[in-house]
Amino acid sequence: MNMFSKDTAANAAIAGKAERISVKDLKFFYGKHLALKGINLPLYDRQVTAFIGPSGCGKSTLLRVLNRMYDLYPGQHAEGQVMFDGKNILDRDLDLNLLRSRVGMVFQKPTPFPMTIYENIAFGIRLYEKLPKSELDGRVESALKKSALWPEVKDKLNANGMSLSGGQQQRLCIARTVAIQPEVILFDEPCSALDPISTAKIEELIDELKSDFTIAIVTHNMQQAARTSQYTAFMYLGELVEFGLTPDIFTKPKDKRTQDYITGRFG
Amino acid sequence: MADVMTDRTATLERLGRDRASVLRGLGFSDKIFNTLTWLAAVSVLLVLGAVFISLIIGAYPALQAFGFSFVTTAVWNPNTDKYGAFAPIVGTLITAFIAMLIAVPIGLGIAIYLTERCPLLLRRPISIAIELLAGIPSIIYGIWGLFFFAPFMKENVYPSLILAFSHVPVLADLFAGPAYGIGTLTSSLILAVMVLPFITSVSRDVFDTVPPVLKEAAYGQGFTTWEVVKNIVIPYTRVGLLGGVMLALGRALGETMAVTFVIGNADKLSTSLLAPGTTISAKIANEFTEAVGDLYTSSLIALGLILFVITFIVLSIARYMLLRLEQKAGV
Repeated sequence: MNMFSKDTAANAAIAGKAERISVKDLKFFYGKHLALKGINLPLYDRQVTAFIGPSGCGKSTLLRVLNRMYDLYPGQHAEGQVMFDGKNILDRDLDLNLLRSRVGMVFQKPTPFPMTIYENIAFGIRLYEKLPKSELDGRVESALKKSALWPEVKDKLNANGMSLSGGQQQRLCIARTVAIQPEVILFDEPCSALDPISTAKIEELIDELKSDFTIAIVTHNMQQAARTSQYTAFMYLGELVEFGLTPDIFTKPKDKRTQDYITGRFG
Repeated sequence: MADVMTDRTATLERLGRDRASVLRGLGFSDKIFNTLTWLAAVSVLLVLGAVFISLIIGAYPALQAFGFSFVTTAVWNPNTDKYGAFAPIVGTLITAFIAMLIAVPIGLGIAIYLTERCPLLLRRPISIAIELLAGIPSIIYGIWGLFFFAPFMKENVYPSLILAFSHVPVLADLFAGPAYGIGTLTSSLILAVMVLPFITSVSRDVFDTVPPVLKEAAYGQGFTTWEVVKNIVIPYTRVGLLGGVMLALGRALGETMAVTFVIGNADKLSTSLLAPGTTISAKIANEFTEAVGDLYTSSLIALGLILFVITFIVLSIARYMLLRLEQKAGV
């Protein structure tokens, strides 16, 4: 599995886990501005990795590289390697639709599509698979169950997805992402627009999802990182300052900047 | 100490009085402002009502003479004083319909390209070109249509259309000769060019209102650009799009000068799109100066009333469709 790295081999050894995605010397540019200054980072299989750091440190940028979302915007480009299943995600001729079906994403704000709850989930499935109606129904149901939304919506699957509450919408977006059976799920501050109860539900959900998916989560909430992740990456000014097991980062950080950040001295 | 207190009380009382009087003044000007805005709003209704009433009064003699058959007969004969509006009504609806059939897909296509795919360098030039298209006065379209476009169609397009469809059952009637150049199809094409900027600029503006994160989410699910446009952008903006299309349809129904130049102003109804025809507004513009006799004038005003009603019906249908769409989407 892990054939392209030396330095991350050490990390893998600590963890005893396989690397699902390996970021190698990644540089990212907004026009001429260098936003990521050579990042090296592993994402371990079926583990939650949290990206923390002050605003503008590049953690969301890093996340958006992993599914090439930046490709939508002319003037943004990345250099380096992001190895996923033996292929470089940054390759020009990579099939982006295929990549995004394997690397799903949940955004900061809930983004239900302007269609029914059922269609919000069924649509993505239909893009890749031709299923009979009964099987599709089953897939929609299991996705909604997996995202703990089923009891709340099972009687109104034909209501518009936008009619749900914010927390429900976010779980709908997670259900939609889970439904197309990706291998990796990226969460970009998934709870920042939600109330505490919805937040707790989603954190619980992330914990359950990690048995099936490799997860990366960007968060401003240090407790959330500590609660949900097994690994934490602290980033500052476009650099990866420190990466390690979450308990280690939060209890005995090696770098002074990490310590200052998690104790609330800046950021 | 007591002195200070009374001083303070006096000051406060004085301040209170001053403020109250200032506020009274402001309250008065606010009232004037409110009344003015109210007047502005009401004047629209008044003008609309006045236009409608004067149209009815003007059209009354014709409607009384011909009754409902005014709408259903295709005769227009000043010599015998017999008038029927069927031909111009059909002409108006058909030219507008064909124009929309051509302009809506092209307009949407341009808007989609501009908002989803266009390199930044090309975006401005194309947008400016489209706005320039909207700025051309309709008389210019008319002149251009009469002297360049109609002869061009006559020489190069109509003969091949007639030839191509001559053995296809229904189309053979729609594209039957002779090729005059001027006629229903030529007018429709010019109308399509004229309404294109409306459709494009309105749909481009509403496409820009789609939150980028919603599009990202769709791309993040592996949607292609076509799927994002079809399932996210268009449903999200359908109300605005329909508004743009209706604006364009309104213009296509009422456009006068350009159509008058190229439609041929024939009173009889033809099944062929290549044959000369007429529309309500073209007919009014053509004949108003020569309308002698009260019934003739009144018939022309009745045509105007009918155009008014058609526009109203179109808008109502649009509203109804919108309502249905929203119910279906489960809002």
